[in-house]
Amino acid sequence: MSRTVLKVAGESGMGLLSVGHIVAKMLRGMGFYVHSDREYPSLIKGGSSNMQIDFGPSPIRCLSKETDLVIALDREGLVEYLDTIKEGGVLVHGFERHHLIKDLQEKAAKRHIHLLYLPAHSIAHELGGGELMVNMVLLGLMWRVLGFQLKPLEEAITEQFAKKPKLLEIDLKCVRAGYEAKGVEIPAYKIPVPKSKPDQILIDGNMGVALGAIKAGVRAYYAYPMSPSSSILTYLANFSHETGMVVKQAEDEITAAQMAVGSMHMGTRALVATSGGGYDLMTETVSMAGMIECPLVVVLCQRPGPATGLPTWTSQGDLQMAIHSAHGEFAKIVLAASDPKSCYELTQQALNLAERFQAPVVPLSEKQVCESQVMVNLEEGEAIAIERGLVTAPKELAALKSADRFRHTENGVSKRWIPGSAPAGYYANSDEHREDGVLTEAADEAKAMMEKRMRKVEAIREALPDSVVFGPKKADISFVGWGSSKGVALDAIEACAEKGIKVNYLHFDYLWPLRDEAFRKFHKANPNIHMLENNFQGQLAELLEGKTGLKFKGRFLKYDGRPFYLEEVVEYAEKNK
Amino acid sequence: MSYQNPIPDYQLLADRKQEYMKYESSQKLTWCEGCGNFGIQKALERALVLEGITTNNVLMCFDIGCHGNGSDKIAGIGGYTLHGLHGRIISAAAGAALANPRIKVVAEAGDGGTFSEGPGHLIHAVRSNYPMLFILHNNENYGLTTGQASAMTRKGYPMNGSPDGVGAEPINACDFVLGLKPSFVARAFSNDVSHMTDVLRAGLRHNGFAFVEVLQTCPTYNKATPEPWYWDKLRPVDQIKGYDASNLKMAREAAQDMDKEIKVGVLYQDKNSVNFLERLPGRKGIKTALVDEVKAFDIAKLIGPYR
Ligand SMILES: Cc1ncc(C[n+]2csc(CCOP(=O)(O)OP(=O)(O)O)c2C)c(N)n1
Repeated sequence: MSRTVLKVAGESGMGLLSVGHIVAKMLRGMGFYVHSDREYPSLIKGGSSNMQIDFGPSPIRCLSKETDLVIALDREGLVEYLDTIKEGGVLVHGFERHHLIKDLQEKAAKRHIHLLYLPAHSIAHELGGGELMVNMVLLGLMWRVLGFQLKPLEEAITEQFAKKPKLLEIDLKCVRAGYEAKGVEIPAYKIPVPKSKPDQILIDGNMGVALGAIKAGVRAYYAYPMSPSSSILTYLANFSHETGMVVKQAEDEITAAQMAVGSMHMGTRALVATSGGGYDLMTETVSMAGMIECPLVVVLCQRPGPATGLPTWTSQGDLQMAIHSAHGEFAKIVLAASDPKSCYELTQQALNLAERFQAPVVPLSEKQVCESQVMVNLEEGEAIAIERGLVTAPKELAALKSADRFRHTENGVSKRWIPGSAPAGYYANSDEHREDGVLTEAADEAKAMMEKRMRKVEAIREALPDSVVFGPKKADISFVGWGSSKGVALDAIEACAEKGIKVNYLHFDYLWPLRDEAFRKFHKANPNIHMLENNFQGQLAELLEGKTGLKFKGRFLKYDGRPFYLEEVVEYAEKNK
Repeated sequence: MSYQNPIPDYQLLADRKQEYMKYESSQKLTWCEGCGNFGIQKALERALVLEGITTNNVLMCFDIGCHGNGSDKIAGIGGYTLHGLHGRIISAAAGAALANPRIKVVAEAGDGGTFSEGPGHLIHAVRSNYPMLFILHNNENYGLTTGQASAMTRKGYPMNGSPDGVGAEPINACDFVLGLKPSFVARAFSNDVSHMTDVLRAGLRHNGFAFVEVLQTCPTYNKATPEPWYWDKLRPVDQIKGYDASNLKMAREAAQDMDKEIKVGVLYQDKNSVNFLERLPGRKGIKTALVDEVKAFDIAKLIGPYR
């Protein structure tokens, strides 16, 4: 399993994204598996950012910490990322005042890093591109270093900038000049180009959510922008002419959640997404959905808190918050996506579960999942059928009584029908109510209705799939996790196998109501068991230990806004095996 | 009383008495004696029946407050009702209205919920022009929580929790909404059921967000403006010579006075109003409602560019 790691670093706004996107797209076109992500501050312009691309001949499910090749578009990029380059790696830059980077040159020499310099600024200016095209010169140089052909790069750029023909010409000149690399000694890189191309697309998790929503028949999307959920709004809005979906940027998160409840109550499918702060505002509505037994799906895209926290970084810090969110006791379902494909599938499952059990569902995502571009095949595997749990047969509709709506049933789920579809109406009441929805404050009626609603918890638990084991049944070291922990764990299983260490991993897609049978078995077979979680407390570890009384041997926790990198998990496994 | 009650459509109501009776409910009414909510409920029932809207074709949405305690006392047979959260009903109702325009959505809320807990919802519902009727129960206080001051409470009157009265000026609801370039603004009085019926009918017919403020008596907590205070101050705009309800400037002018001559009736209406759904380019030419469209959508075309 050999992967190459590229990083394009510079200030936000210097065009590193377009470089990153062109490169990622090209690599995918050449048949490589690609996994890329962007690190950036919560600013529009300025501030150090980078885009990292891990690529190789086999699936890549997480990012690495160390890089092989860095393009630094500015001095900051140079300084900040030199240390991330592996011994013998390459740093491509266009920083003309060499005397200012003497110490860096010494540092690089010590670790045998090739510092490749091209006067990218003057080249770009001479060719008429100005500062904005420095990135193209360096891109050309990097492509040369990678040892790939110029032609496909020219084609990719032509495609990317087809709409700006004047600039395109200059873009191409700059790229060629970079590729020519006059006077630069190019280190020999040999990256074999794959013979075939996987049938996969390169998308991020938020696109997975958007496509999952569309596939599941969602007809209304309401949201208020908040990183890292915002691009779901962008994607769905941009698709809206094709889908006819009502996509509304609401005035706040309370509105978004309320509108979704209104639309769901009326019988269509709606969706909302937000991040922690926005979810906090939605919780009263989540509670209301619990009370009136209205389906509601809120995708919670996590970022580190508390408060505004680290808006553009990643976290798994809101699991317990999601589980325990909103006042009162009611059935609620929490899931967690781990990559774009699971975003796509779990969004569909969430809508089915919400409608089948008439309950709020919170699919969790995280910046790392929302924005990382990963190769996936969405059509692979069994299609998820839409399950609405609605009464639709004319005969059955005709026979309905108002009290059927909140009838005390064995599993707590009562009949639900689209308003206007049956002669019997019903009353969705956020006050405690009887079977027909009419308000009651009688102790016995209140107790019975609470018990009816809470019976759904067990019904849901039985319906949810249990956690799943990846890797060998027994291992030297075992991990348990959810969300983006899966990607890094799966890559670590392979990386550790190469080192002769047997690793396995237990993954939770469905987190609440918690199922623990598979965990108990896994724990029994694998005493050297460790939690892998991107938060301070080990929130799932706490839940599992609390529920089963079984303990983890160790907890590998990270809460600095960064995801787990492959090397870190491999190193942890080596130390704790 | 400075004006004559318009004659209600007695014959039509009589013809439709079966429909009318479906709006009645066997639940015990729990409002105080003399509460304006009785009149509002009556007028709404009449307006719905006169507009040919059966209990099966309307979703009644209620905020939390005294008015919301009437939520199980209307549309008793075959009706659909949603009783939501305090201050939030406009948005829930809007979501419902977008989902199925074949069903009329009516939302009701108090002045507390509308102008203190959730004014943002009102502002953007007006701007968005969601297709629905909204009735503001303005009793100038928080009724259900026993008489605290609202943003409509008149200056200087002692209230629960504000024994010295509030120092701030009250908000003028219609003036506020008229400032948002609305498509429909009307005002009525809770104890003039016939006039209110006509106003609500116009609101039900409106294509877009219809805002109706009902000046509501509250004999228990609102001592500043009891029922008799209103009668000789009300002035229906259709009795004002030259009043033009399509003139926003005129409407704003008319809405100002809340003390001496209070204008009631349809203050403003844009008869060419285009509602939220009709404004969406992505839904041009689509005849179905969102409730009809929940089907697996083929994403192949959408992911084409990503291949
Ligand atoms: C979030 C929230 N805050 C407070 C309350 C308590 N509460 C219920 S009704 C109400 C005010 C009622 O006043 P208004 O909205 O004017 O309606 P009215 O009772 O006068 O009809 C309040 C504060 C609540 N139910 N929810």
